[in-house]
Order: sequence, then C-alpha cells, then structure tokens
Amino acid sequence: MKLFPVGLFDRLANQLAVLTFLPEPVLKSAGTLLLKLNVLPDDMQNAVASLFAPRNKDASLAFLKMISAWMMNARDAEKNGKKVILLPFNFPPEVIHAFEKAAPLTSEVMSTLGVVGLKGQGEQYWDMAMGLGLPDHMCSANTVELGSMLGSEDFKPQAIISAAPGGCDVNSKIHEFVAHYLGIPQFFLQKPPEDTGRGFKLYVVYMHELIKQLEQFLGEEMTEAKLRKVAEKCNRCTELFLEMWDLHKAAPCPVPNVFSLFLYGTRFTMWGTDEAIANLEAMVAITKKRLAEKAYPAPKEIARCLWCYTSYYFDFFGFFNWMEEQGYTHLGDGLDLCFPEMVDTSSRDSMIAGLARSAWNMPMTRQVGGESMSRSWTNDVIYASKELNADCVIFCGHHSCKQTWSVVSILRSELAKRTELPLLVLQGDAWIKKMTPMSVIQQEIDEFVKNVVVKKSAGARKVRRRKEQDGDN
Amino acid sequence: MDEIIKQSKLFENDHVKKWKSQGGRVLGYICVATPTEIIEAAGILPYRVRALGSSQTEIADAHLSRFNCSFCRSCLQLGLEGKFDFLDGMIETNGCDHLRGMIENWHYAKKFDFLHYLRVPHVNDKNSMAFFEEELGLFKKAIEDRFGSAIKDEAIWDQIKKQESIRARLRTIYEIRERKEPGFTGADALSILLIASAVPSDALDAMLSRAIEERKDKKLTGYRARLLLAGSVTDELDFVKEIESMGGLVVTDALCYGSRAFWTQSAEKDGDPVKFLARMYLEKLMCPRMFDDFPARRDFVLSAVERAKVDGVVLVHNKFCDVHGVDNVQLRLALEKKGVLVLQLEKEYGAKADMGRLKTRVQAFLERIGGR
Repeated sequence: MKLFPVGLFDRLANQLAVLTFLPEPVLKSAGTLLLKLNVLPDDMQNAVASLFAPRNKDASLAFLKMISAWMMNARDAEKNGKKVILLPFNFPPEVIHAFEKAAPLTSEVMSTLGVVGLKGQGEQYWDMAMGLGLPDHMCSANTVELGSMLGSEDFKPQAIISAAPGGCDVNSKIHEFVAHYLGIPQFFLQKPPEDTGRGFKLYVVYMHELIKQLEQFLGEEMTEAKLRKVAEKCNRCTELFLEMWDLHKAAPCPVPNVFSLFLYGTRFTMWGTDEAIANLEAMVAITKKRLAEKAYPAPKEIARCLWCYTSYYFDFFGFFNWMEEQGYTHLGDGLDLCFPEMVDTSSRDSMIAGLARSAWNMPMTRQVGGESMSRSWTNDVIYASKELNADCVIFCGHHSCKQTWSVVSILRSELAKRTELPLLVLQGDAWIKKMTPMSVIQQEIDEFVKNVVVKKSAGARKVRRRKEQDGDN
Repeated sequence: MDEIIKQSKLFENDHVKKWKSQGGRVLGYICVATPTEIIEAAGILPYRVRALGSSQTEIADAHLSRFNCSFCRSCLQLGLEGKFDFLDGMIETNGCDHLRGMIENWHYAKKFDFLHYLRVPHVNDKNSMAFFEEELGLFKKAIEDRFGSAIKDEAIWDQIKKQESIRARLRTIYEIRERKEPGFTGADALSILLIASAVPSDALDAMLSRAIEERKDKKLTGYRARLLLAGSVTDELDFVKEIESMGGLVVTDALCYGSRAFWTQSAEKDGDPVKFLARMYLEKLMCPRMFDDFPARRDFVLSAVERAKVDGVVLVHNKFCDVHGVDNVQLRLALEKKGVLVLQLEKEYGAKADMGRLKTRVQAFLERIGGR
C-alpha cells in the first residue's frame, strides 16, 4: 500500500482496502457516520449519501465488497504470481478469471469508481491524457483511468485486451495508444460486423486464438476443469441476472435505481466468481423483500424510464436517487442490455463457444457493433422497453459516443413508429461534471416527464381551436 | 492540368455525364478499402464520394449530430440534396463509426437503389484474411446479381493490370512532385487524385500521361518550406491552397485521398484475382482504423519524409475523428523522436471560418521551420 498515492488506481485501492478488514457492523454504520460528521469532500458526499440510503445500503455494501476483492486481486497480483490484464467493459472478465495467473481490471469501471469515490473526481486524470495532446472528444469512460496510467505514478497492467475494434473506434484507439505508450502487449478480439452465422463462427475462432495467445503470455493452460468451474458460476450469475430482469417488470418497480449500475458493474468485473454470486443474491433478496412490501421511494411511480445508452455517474445521489424520489424509475440502461445466456459446460469447445457468445452479447458489441449500428440497438431498446413496460426512453447523449450519436435519430423515429414511446435526447459527459451540471439534467428530465410522458399517458392531447369570429384574424 | 483541375471541382464531371449518357452505370464508394477493380471489371464506373469542401450541413444535422465528423455530415448533406443522384448504388464499408452512421442515415432517409456492405476486418491476420476473401466473393456476387453481368476472372486481372499502370503513373507524378524542384503543387496533386477516383480508367490513363508530359520539366521555386500533409480524410483543395499560399509547398502526403489510395502494389499476379485483391487491400491498408500495425503506418510516413526531404509534417484531423485524432498523437511522438518538426491541427471540414485560425498556426509553423 502506497502511503501517498497519486494515481487513480492506487488511491482507490487504499480506500477499498479498508473495507476488507472493517467488521460488518462498523461497515454498516460507517457511511451514515461519515455523512453526519461531514468530513467527506463534496465530490464524495453525494456518492456516499446515495450508496448508504437505507434502501441501497445492504446491496451497496455487498457490491463494494465484491469490487474491493476485484481490486485487491489486481493490486496484489504481482505478489501472488499473477499478471494484470486491462480490459474494456465489453470483454467478458470470466475469460481472465479462468486463469490462475491472471487478474482482470476494467478501464471503464475504474473510471466510474474514481469519479464517484475520489476527491476531485476524475478530472485531473482526464487532464493528464489531454496533456499528451489526445483530443478532447475521447471517451471519458476510459480516458479518466487511462489518463492516470499515462500521466501519473500509478499502477500499470502487464497487458491489454482490446475487444472494441468493430464496436467502437474511440475505445479501440485509446487502448492501442496506451499499449504503445506503456510498451505492453495488446491482444485483440475484433467483432465482425456480420449478424449471420458466418460472423459468429469467425468470432469463435478469434476467441480460440485469443485464449491461445493468453495461455502463451501467462504460461498457463486454460484447462477444461478451470473453465468449467468458472462457467458454472457464470451460469448461476446468469440465473440471478435474469431474475433481476424479471423483478424490474413489477409496478411500482421494486428495484432501487442504483441497482442498474450494480448489475452491470458485476457483469464487467467479477462475473463467474463467488463474490459476484453473493452480490447478485443480495440484490435479488432485497428486491424480493421490497416487492412483497410494495416498497417504492416516492408516493407514486410516475414514469418508468429506460435509459438507452449509459447513465450519468458523476453524481449518484443527484442521478439515481433523485430520480426515484421524484417517482421516476430507472429501469436500467444500455449497459444492462447484455442478455447473458447459459453456457454449455459439456466440453472445452462448448464452453469457449459460450464465452464467445457472452462477448458477442456484451453491450456496445451487440448493439452498435452489429451489422447495422441502428438496427441492433433499436431492436434491443424496443424489446427492453416493451418487456419492462417503459413509459419513455432517455438518451444521455454522452458526447464521445459517435456511434450512438450518429444513429439516435433513427432510434427516435423507430421508437415513435413501433412503440409510440417518446425519446428524450440529453447532452452531457456521463463521467465528467463540467459539461452539463446535474441540476440542468434534472430539470430537463423533470420537464420531459411532466410535459410529455405524463400528458401522453393521460390520453390524447386536446387540440384547442380558436373561436372563429367575424373580422378576427 | 487545367482540364483536370476544372473537372476535379465538379461532383458530376464531364466524364461521368458522358458515361451515363451512353447508358453506363456508376457505383459510389467512400472508403479506400474498396477494391474498385471488381466494379470496373463488371463494366461499372466506380466513383468515390466527395464533399469538395462543402460545409453546409443543415439537412445532415437532422440525422447525424454535431458530434459526428463534418466530412461525413457534408457528404450526407450533398447526398440528401441530390448531388449524387447519378449513382446507381453505393458500396458501404466499416471504415469508421462516422462513415457507417452516415451511410445508415443516408439509406434511411433516401434509399439507395443498390447498397452492398463490404465488411473489412480491423486486424490483418490469417483468419481475417480468409474472411475478407469471402467478403470480396460476396461483393462480386452482389454486383453480378444486381447488374446482371458475370464478372470473369480475366476481366478482373485486366483491371488489376490497368490499375497497376495507373498506380505507376501516379507514382511518377509523386516523383515529380517530391523532387528537389517540384513540378506539381500539393493542390495539383490533390486535383489529380480526385479525378482519378471519378473517371473511367482508360480516360484516366490518358489524362495522367498528359499531365506528366506537361509538368515533367516544370520547376516550382520560391517556396519557404517543403511539407508533408497527413491525417484525416480530406478532399479540400482550398485548404491545401491556403497552406501553399503562405509558402508551405505540400510536396507529398499520407492522405487517404492521396498517396494512401494508390501506393500499394503486389508483386505476384496470378491465381485467383479475388484472393490477390484481398491480400493487396487488407495487408497494405494504411489506415488507422486498422489495429496492430501502427509501425507500418509510422514507417510509411517516415519513408515519405525521407524521400521527399520535407522540412516539416502537418498532421490534420477533422474534429471528432477518433481514429486519426489518436493516431496523429502517436505519429507526432514518433516523428518528433526522429527530429522531424510536426504541426498537429484539429479542424472542421470545409469551414471557411476555421481558415483564419489554421493559417495562423501554419504561419507560425513556417516561422519555426525557417528559424531552424
């Protein structure tokens, strides 16, 4: 543990390390105590208030424990004879969990944790990347974390997997840049933009190749036994994830808004591990209890909102909690649209094909990485909005996402044609507060729900006709 | 050259008009990864879509967004305005996210008579090459099915040989351009490359021969510095002219409307022509949308720097172009390490309002070169 860490990973690791040795009762009251003492920096105050809200607290602690285990695994990797592999969020981490000599670390999850858990959020690390001359239209989702690796004395991975060629230019390019800059190897899992069996067949071949390269790099074989152990846990995670999906359908929605993030936070980090299962089980148990109690944070559920891309992360309290306290349910966002499937554990090949299917279905890869950027995305959003009984869809308009920005007009038209659901298009940076403040985002959501969604639900708008009067223009 | 310059400024040039009036078909494409030999072997004229510096995007902005590359928005605008209505179809590639979005919106708002998606892998390895070979087979079949003419292997080989001859002439033009006393300006060269992707190859061959004959003894003097221009897709003649008006002669380039479109060549020329084209296009695709081959792109620029004895390199990218935006930083770091002076510019495509700022940057760069 570094005494005076400066990098995003090192600072977070120090904070999360505390969670590993504090006893349960202390942990449970820690958030409340910290808030009462008013000792937290402003940036963290809202995140802690959100996580420790009574309805979220137990799940938040389960989630933080899982994340802590994930980070400690990476921090202590060298000591334990492991290599840290940096991943993008659209790569299934269970592939790395199936190796004993590797620890996965996900760029976008690190950025998100840094944004919600560190004083000064992620801006200083973003600035470090900009300081190298990288353009300001990079994606803060990964550039915050990668900026820290590039510009500060921070923890460094031993290799990078890039799973975004074919799904996202900006994600692929920044990871390539970091690999070159740090002088570490990079392995690829490119997505053929082909939705027939031919594309997936090739993707399975690519997955086999990637595993071979990793085996060589790590000096370890991915045996059938190791793979099966992980795949069976993946299957349990899938069952629990799908149970959460079904629980979202109830009205009022018993799932607290922030669980949306906990779900994909689990998918992107510890899927296929005992920690992930424990975390998902905690969420299911809490939600079932809330369903039985008909619990909802506001007197009435006013609007069920599906976020079709990401959420906003720089202010948990202002985003997730504020929404549900207004009666605006967050049904999940585009990152929850990963549609996990059961892995066939009968053979090594069937399990690798299952991993390839998981990677194929990861958010972004599945949607804008599809043969058509608009078709796959539109179909998934429409399916989810119907399944979850959404009243509206909201696009957060993260400025760096050129793919979704380039086809959101098609999504809007198709939503209107096929579901009559309205789409709110916002603009902002989901990870950095300085582009659009939370107060403005809240105001726009509020106006949209009150003036469009609620009035639409109340019935057809009455057309006011002017009285015709002689001589009156 | 006057005729080339005049025709290069038109969307539907006289050669296209003549071709169409004789009942010929024209297929549009945008990305340099499109093997035009297959199109020409079907007796169809391949035409590379361009925006020619047009910066109006009000219709396109209702479909794409302000966070998308302004070159793609300009092309979409022109497409929806009807400037490319002479096209009988379009070949889409997954060149970049903006380009894919542009084609999807174009097709959504105004259907192409024929649209084929040619999927180009992002990594050049054995499995991807096999996939790309299959893709070119599907591409060929789609053209055959649509336009009702079988494309014979011999016809493709004929086109490969014709293109090889054209590439050789273009390389001669670059030799004249890159020599100590150049015979072509950068704007001249861009005009030639623009016309080269918008006329039948027989007509082009003759035009290039005339241009070489006309300029082989010309000696341009009086410029302040020899520059290499590299980066994002650009067909902006005015941008190059402005740089040259300040004394920075663009003696070579690494642009996809420039040398990257024709530099590649392959020695072996027998067997299956589709497999040959797959290798030629994928193995030598000098574009930052490819991964795992930055050293090849860096060496391509470095060898042009050496060959043309440039005083400085201008790296340009259109705002929101991620592939070049990031690659240019890597290139800048690599070039500076070799002691090459670099100016990195981010700009809006075709925007006149941007020109004053860009000229100031170029002016300062020329001062820097002069003071060296």
